[in-house]
Amino acid sequence: MSELAAHLQLPGAGFEADDDFDAVNAHCLERGWTDGLPIVPPTRERVEHMLAYCQRPWNEPVGALAPRYGAATPLAVAANAVMAGCRPEYFPLVLLALEAMCEERFNLYAIQATTHVCAPLLIFNGPIARELGIVSGHGALGPGGHANATIGRAARLALLNIGGAKPGHGDMATYGSPAKYSYCAAENEAASPWEPLHVERGFAKEASTVTVIAAEAPHNVNDHESVTAAGILKTMAGNMSIPGFNDIFQPVSQPVVLFGPEHAATVAAGGYSKADVKKHLHEHARIPFNRFSDENVERRLRKRKKWVDAPLDTLVPICRAPEQLTIVVIGGAGKHSAFIPTFGDTQSVTRALARADGRDALSIAELRR
Amino acid sequence: MIELSRRGVRTALVCSEPFLEMARTQARVFGEPDLSLLVVPHPLGGIPVDDVRARAESALPGLIRLAEKKEQ
Repeated sequence: MSELAAHLQLPGAGFEADDDFDAVNAHCLERGWTDGLPIVPPTRERVEHMLAYCQRPWNEPVGALAPRYGAATPLAVAANAVMAGCRPEYFPLVLLALEAMCEERFNLYAIQATTHVCAPLLIFNGPIARELGIVSGHGALGPGGHANATIGRAARLALLNIGGAKPGHGDMATYGSPAKYSYCAAENEAASPWEPLHVERGFAKEASTVTVIAAEAPHNVNDHESVTAAGILKTMAGNMSIPGFNDIFQPVSQPVVLFGPEHAATVAAGGYSKADVKKHLHEHARIPFNRFSDENVERRLRKRKKWVDAPLDTLVPICRAPEQLTIVVIGGAGKHSAFIPTFGDTQSVTRALARADGRDALSIAELRR
Repeated sequence: MIELSRRGVRTALVCSEPFLEMARTQARVFGEPDLSLLVVPHPLGGIPVDDVRARAESALPGLIRLAEKKEQ
């Protein structure tokens, strides 16, 4: 018997329930171990099967998940991945996403506990996302994609059960978010006119990465009429120029602009690189002081030294520098894009799937135990 | 807050009623279950500055009691 199998037989390593789908679900629901939807019973066999794609020791945490600071061991994460309905080959991606969330600059404690509505958005790049069928085209943000639905859900269940983000207790989000069920997609690299997100961030094109972003749910940007880059970007900048989201007030914020492929193609055809788009949007997505409430002007904007005596037509950028904007291309046909504000006091983290020897994994088979 | 308390600084966490349970849980998580909590009426955000001052004034006697208690 393996060490893992022996461990799973120890008292307290699991829980006993009748071998019945409904009984296990009732047990888990009663204890607050689910997102409210039915779960796949995390039997010993299923958990062991999940760990077939884990080359790390099953009992060594990849991080501590705030606010409970529960140890995210592969074993504990595997149980949640089973419950979420993941296939074993998805497991390295779930673990990688959680590991990325534990980097200090992501600020997981605040993201989990805040009254704000953010949820970690998982964006995958590279060949393994394609191999696993993570949807990047129509409906990438749901519903329907098995990998998208279950990888995102596994991360959520781990944040809930290991991290302690129980609504009203460890997760104080005022009204929550549909993005807290699952928020996961791949970038549509094939349909993007620009370099993919991971390449922009210094990873090899052949690397397979996850980028975690503490994001609001997407707000659609509809433009069926513009045929020029200037037109699309004007509509986008207009949708971004609103006074009630976090990014405006936080120095490190990285708001997200999600381009549908058709809008991206129109913008790129106008000669705009990603950097040009960021510069343009940073210059044009601005909000005059007089669109903020008097209290927000006095109690927030005027706290910045340069705006102590600024006139009411002063324009406020939605983030401090153009480079802070994050641009991704996701989706299928259609004249839609999205603006996705973030928690603000957070920085997104990109990490690559690596083999045991430290090199980029090129296929999920390389990550089998 | 917990780190300050561990370093011997007299510490009390100010929170409003809806966050009390979370504050207690976090104090336990960080190994300081007896961390002093000072509860003020909710909310703290979105109220006039004078009301914020009034909350601070109403909390002051409790804060002083906590400080004295710790000193004993």
